[in-house]
Amino acid sequence: MNLYGPQLATVVDLIDETTDTRTLRLELQDPVAREVFSFRAGQFGEYSVFGAGEAPFCIASPPTRPGAIECTFKLVGKVTTALREVNVGDTVGFRGPYGNWFPLDDWKGKNILFVAGGIGLAPVRCVIWNVLDRREEFAEVTIVYGARSVADLVYKRELEQWATRNDVTTVTTVDPGGETQDWAGRVGFVPTVLSQVAPSAADAVAVVCGPPVMIKFSFPVLDKLGFADDDVFTTLEMRMKCGVGKCGRCNIGPVYVCKDGPVFTAAQLKQLPAEY
Amino acid sequence: MSGERFLGTEDLAGLVGDLLAAGTQVIAPAVAGTCASPAALASSACLRPGAAPELIQYLSIQDPALLALGRGMPSLSLKSFFLPQNEALLHWKQRGSAIELEPAPVERRRRVVLGAKPCDAAALEILDRVMRWDYVDELWVGRRDATAVFTLACPMEDDSCFCPAVGAAPDGTRGADGLLTPVDGGYLVEATTDRGRELLAAHADRLKDLDALSDGADLRDQAEAFRAAARERVAANLQIDAESVRAWIATHYDDPLLTALGVRCNGCGACSSVCPTCHCFDIVDEPDGVGCGTRRRCWDTCQTGKFTAHASGHNPREDQNVRFRQRINHKFSIYPLRFGEVLCTGCGRCTRVCHAGQDLVEILATIDVAARRGEPEPTAAGEGDAA
Amino acid sequence: MDDLRDLARTLLESGEVQVVIGWEDGRRGARPAFVTAPEGAGRLIFDTRCVHNLATYLNPRRPQLTGLGKVAMVVKGCDVKAVAGLLREEQLTRERLVIIGVRCGGVLEEPALPRAAELTPATVAPRCYGCDNREPSLVDYLVGAPQPEPPPPAMTIDDRVAALDSMSPQERWQFWTDQFSKCVRCYACRQVCPLCVCERCIADKTMPQWIETASHPRGNMAWNLVRALHLAGRCVGCGECERFCPVDIPLSLLNRKLQQVVADRFDYVVADDPEKAAPIGDYRPDDRQEFIK
Repeated sequence: MNLYGPQLATVVDLIDETTDTRTLRLELQDPVAREVFSFRAGQFGEYSVFGAGEAPFCIASPPTRPGAIECTFKLVGKVTTALREVNVGDTVGFRGPYGNWFPLDDWKGKNILFVAGGIGLAPVRCVIWNVLDRREEFAEVTIVYGARSVADLVYKRELEQWATRNDVTTVTTVDPGGETQDWAGRVGFVPTVLSQVAPSAADAVAVVCGPPVMIKFSFPVLDKLGFADDDVFTTLEMRMKCGVGKCGRCNIGPVYVCKDGPVFTAAQLKQLPAEY
Repeated sequence: MSGERFLGTEDLAGLVGDLLAAGTQVIAPAVAGTCASPAALASSACLRPGAAPELIQYLSIQDPALLALGRGMPSLSLKSFFLPQNEALLHWKQRGSAIELEPAPVERRRRVVLGAKPCDAAALEILDRVMRWDYVDELWVGRRDATAVFTLACPMEDDSCFCPAVGAAPDGTRGADGLLTPVDGGYLVEATTDRGRELLAAHADRLKDLDALSDGADLRDQAEAFRAAARERVAANLQIDAESVRAWIATHYDDPLLTALGVRCNGCGACSSVCPTCHCFDIVDEPDGVGCGTRRRCWDTCQTGKFTAHASGHNPREDQNVRFRQRINHKFSIYPLRFGEVLCTGCGRCTRVCHAGQDLVEILATIDVAARRGEPEPTAAGEGDAA
Repeated sequence: MDDLRDLARTLLESGEVQVVIGWEDGRRGARPAFVTAPEGAGRLIFDTRCVHNLATYLNPRRPQLTGLGKVAMVVKGCDVKAVAGLLREEQLTRERLVIIGVRCGGVLEEPALPRAAELTPATVAPRCYGCDNREPSLVDYLVGAPQPEPPPPAMTIDDRVAALDSMSPQERWQFWTDQFSKCVRCYACRQVCPLCVCERCIADKTMPQWIETASHPRGNMAWNLVRALHLAGRCVGCGECERFCPVDIPLSLLNRKLQQVVADRFDYVVADDPEKAAPIGDYRPDDRQEFIK
């Protein structure tokens, strides 16, 4: 098979996270491939439905739990519509892992802060489980996550798991007006709640992902809390096709998101032209 | 060029015949036309009366009589023989929940390009960089490995050519295996790679040593004079410092000089389609029937709005100014930074094909002036108040 | 062209418009000009090289132009029909536009000349002969001296359509299959057409995918035929699509044929009157229907 040919994977589980967001759990069909497949948190794959096309999503399952590959996607176009129509037992394509990754080894001994909004939790969730599966290597772990409404929260079961752990501080919020009668979490936009939680920046790194407006207002909060730009990590999405640096479409200035990213620090982002 | 030998016009035709007989595909500039059907005469009446009487294209020829070396610029570059306009990547077939995949075969058929424009051949070597960057594109590499290219020294097409300004030359052999130079009665030919030498050795009966010809020294002088005159002629079209242009673009991204380049541009991408170095592509799935289909890649262009449009509706490059800047940026700043090569060989096709009047010679000259002197100067054609 | 330059200068100085779109001399001949400063008005020219239909720059989907402000546009009699089309379809409002008509005696097909050349049957643009709008009325100003009639071209577009019509259906199908096999799907035809203004072109839609993306004959035939059909009754016959095509496909023949059909069936030819309803947007109870089988 050539560079652009995917491996075949079977859908072994699907979970509807919200009305328009789904997680698929895939197993590579070739047993040898399944055995040797490995990746690092932050990398992405090109997932395909034959007949509809390919789309890039981060690998949402953690590398510490091999055997299956997960992706979480929102229904927005042709490929995601087709992905929403596959059933357990169907075959899809997977190419990857591509791209760079979060440098967890550099974070040993540090406090890790996760800030995510909406479906932006998907790439972050991979890192969260990666960190939790290597819990003793890191210091304090804080998660600040919010969505427009209770219904829009993704990975609801896992939020509960994280909330009940005593080695993680989990703060969940919904936008004002998004709360339900029995909502016990916070109410407020993620950047606001982040500044209220005010985690210490000492010996800490932050992993941030969410809608552009959330990132835009979270960066100044982190800056004010004392996080250095080199210690704030995010992951970008771009329209992609080949995923391997050949088709020329995912670049931001001289940086190719599929090869030099999708993980970037805030310091690196500030060097890029505002074309993303 | 010490290893040059003489290839007479008839021997060139004979060489083509020998190659074809051996099953080698021969690609050369040829006169392109409509099909040779009875309707051809009537159909030619339907074509634009002002269209060039002879449309020259690189074609795979079956008959040496169709060779049209040195009769003009092929309107499309050699690119389509290495990165086709549309090419299958794989085929799928669905059986219930299961899928069978069949990769598109890597083309390994031996091919020879005779009489390529040096700008088109140089583009192939420039594109080798991205096609081999970490991940190897087997489809491209397979074709490159299977193809020998001989360039034909070019006298200069017109004043939109600027190959020396970007590191190419009208008698260049970058990306190629040898060079043909027109002289009386035929060509002088020299190989510049092992593959070229092997090819010439295999057809040595078609070549004559210059020492064995009474006018051998004269032919050698003719060839050298042809090439020197061409180099001087085309160098006069544009003189820039490509490195300072690259550095200026990288540090002046929001300069008004760069942000107003797309006002005239229609965003059609004709420039990308004729360009020998534009390589951006799309990947699409196309059904061929029920439960089966082909995943293809096809040429794409950063000049369309759709190129960077996210499914969410967000588009990082929302207007033609930003998109045209990307074209200049990619070719003259990004690619040189990442791969050490300007993504342009100065063939001039983009300028000739743009009927909206976008002019790369003018654009580069203006940026060069700004780069060397630190401020833009008015040119005859536009004062920068086109913003 | 002093009256044109003076007018442009005045419009810019007074602030009535922020940009004048006309023609200027480039390194390779005449090309569209975008003048935003009064001093730049001296760049404006009008001669036989001014073939470009500038109405395409009024497409509301060109934010880099709509953002410049109110426009004054120099138009020939053919171009202004496209402006009328845009007004008719409410893609523009009349107040956003100052129309400077220019008296034209025909243009060359090839603007890439250092100086204007005289029109000959071999060089005149095919659309000029028989021009029915030599004194355009949909204008705010009309400049330029009266010009002689353009000469007939070596072969008129109707002659070329007739050559096609004289083929058998199989021959004609083969002709177009051959022509469309050259198509590289650059969409130059669409991008330059003043009436191709859809916010999301059918060729760009993926849900559902009406037209295949890759440039093989099947997809190319679909694209080119659909575009011609979407222009039926709207195309003004400027021929820019054919002039811009980098692979010389005789696109205007499709559009001219459909113009002939529309004229015959619906008694309609495009004019520079935005109030005149077009067949695609109008219905009359007594519309002919004998051709509907």
